[in-house]
Amino acid sequence: MVRYDLIIVGAGPAGLSAAIIAAKQGVRTAVFDENERPGGQLFKQIHKFFGSREHRAKVRGFRIGEQLLEEARECGVEVHLNATVMGLYDKKEVLVMADGETHHFKADAIILATGARENFIPFAGWTLPGVMGAGAAQTMVNLHGVQPGSRVLMVGTGNVGLVVSYQLMQAGIQVEALIDAAPRVGGYGVHAAKLARLGVPFYLSHTIVKAEGTDKVTGAVIAQVDEKFQPIPGTEKHFDVDTICMAVGLSPMSELPAMAGCQMEDKGGAVPKVDACGETSIPGIFAAGDAAGIEEASSAMITGQIAGIAAARRLGYVDEEMFEAETDRLRASLQKLHEGMFSPQNRGRNDFTETDEGYPISQSLLHKGYMEDQEITRYPGAVSGKSGVHPVIECSQNIPCDPCQDACKFGCIRVGDEITRLPCVNEEAKCTGCGLCVASCSGQAIFLVDETYDEEHAAVTLPYEFLPYPQAGDKGVALGRDGREVCEAEVVSLKINKAMDQTALLTIKVPREMAMTARFFKKKEA
Amino acid sequence: MRVTEHPILGTYQKGRKVQFTFDGKSMEGYEGEPIAAALRAAGVTTHRYTTKKHEPRGIFCAIGRCTDCVMIVDGRPNIRTCITPLREGMRIQTQYGIEAKEI
Repeated sequence: MVRYDLIIVGAGPAGLSAAIIAAKQGVRTAVFDENERPGGQLFKQIHKFFGSREHRAKVRGFRIGEQLLEEARECGVEVHLNATVMGLYDKKEVLVMADGETHHFKADAIILATGARENFIPFAGWTLPGVMGAGAAQTMVNLHGVQPGSRVLMVGTGNVGLVVSYQLMQAGIQVEALIDAAPRVGGYGVHAAKLARLGVPFYLSHTIVKAEGTDKVTGAVIAQVDEKFQPIPGTEKHFDVDTICMAVGLSPMSELPAMAGCQMEDKGGAVPKVDACGETSIPGIFAAGDAAGIEEASSAMITGQIAGIAAARRLGYVDEEMFEAETDRLRASLQKLHEGMFSPQNRGRNDFTETDEGYPISQSLLHKGYMEDQEITRYPGAVSGKSGVHPVIECSQNIPCDPCQDACKFGCIRVGDEITRLPCVNEEAKCTGCGLCVASCSGQAIFLVDETYDEEHAAVTLPYEFLPYPQAGDKGVALGRDGREVCEAEVVSLKINKAMDQTALLTIKVPREMAMTARFFKKKEA
Repeated sequence: MRVTEHPILGTYQKGRKVQFTFDGKSMEGYEGEPIAAALRAAGVTTHRYTTKKHEPRGIFCAIGRCTDCVMIVDGRPNIRTCITPLREGMRIQTQYGIEAKEI
């Protein structure tokens, strides 16, 4: 039996982060993961992450995965892949299945970072091939480059449903609609707005009634629901789709702590009871990341580090003073992500009518996925009627992120230390039109607008992450926030460089009165 | 269908092209990719039929959790095709209950 100081189960964001911080203190650490590749679900996250610089904001998830693997290698973490942890027994004995054989390991501390699995809702036809998890579809396109289908209905408008829908569109798949039984969009409004301006409709207060087909999905029927979430007869709508994706939440994978005899509790699924460091009721066994309570990858990396440093202290590698300093730093970092209307303590709440600052929240955004034109200038990041180029920030909810203020070297944009605050545009500062703020916004909510581009036209620069790229001189139509064609448009330029990390800046010229309306471009078919 | 060019990911790193069979029919995929990905790209959606009701099942979770996509691979039943890498010459069969042949 091989012994380690610390065994970590799961090589995702939490497990790798725990391993890195512990190994840096000299803790002999091994990570076991059942998958062929490390990184957990990070490598299918191709969007830019939220948070602040310390949370690796505006870095795409798969690049964060690469960074973590590199750091883990540098500090000598042993990562065992294709190694399924099947059992966690008394005295921290770990049973691992690899190569068809079982192996025993032992450690003085254990960190369980096993992540989560997708939830599903049953409906008529839900077992047909073509009905799958949103995460499953995301895995197929982003990891394996295979389209799960060609036309998709997405069930669920939380961040997973919104982000995966957008990524399916990026891979050339048509998302016909998003539906949600709740009356309001559950995820970030900025993610919904990205889809709405592509013309994807949202059906809130709707549920899926059935998947059609005998051997595979050939269609879907949805219906409006009443206050008790029951379908209202006569409101059915049919969609010609071959794929139905479910994004209806995640459940922690907590079999191992339950098996080890840790005290469990229900926090949106069974999780081990943990203290502020992630330590379970059994001293020396910790849980981190989604396995300790569903959040997202940015906070999983922090709870992983907290558990890692706490395990190092328990093993005697870290003194009290350093432990206090590190955990204070990490908790402060975690707290930044836990502010605002989307914080874990506000989970399930969607009754906010105004932001922390007192700005009204757009009901159109919550019900249809986009803000109405006249609502935009309510917010401190969106000014119109200026001459020259300037940013228009269509950010209307308290989301924890601030890359926009780092992006602008000229002081145009200010969020402040509390990163959930809405960004403010300083009208005194001079915008040079560099567009780095546009590319830095993980929510793709920043546009550059020049209402005095020429005598008749305004120029609008928008983030563009689709192929093929339009070229200067291309003619087409501008789409509004609702995805409807609003006017003719011509491409002025398309810029992309390394700092923008695959977010191209597309500048179009539109009739001047459309400066605050045109938000996407569709090339005219030849 | 395969995604050949992606606005964020560029091109996908794939292994060499290999031959395999699905219910005796010759097909092509890339070495190392999940069997399920190769099958989906080749247009296969049904991986197995359930024992009692003979209902079709396909890819559902794609990360090895749900076991809906299990098939018979090189004569072994219950292989999770979404996480089992494709190899040259693999013999993949639709699974009926836990058997290869239709019951």
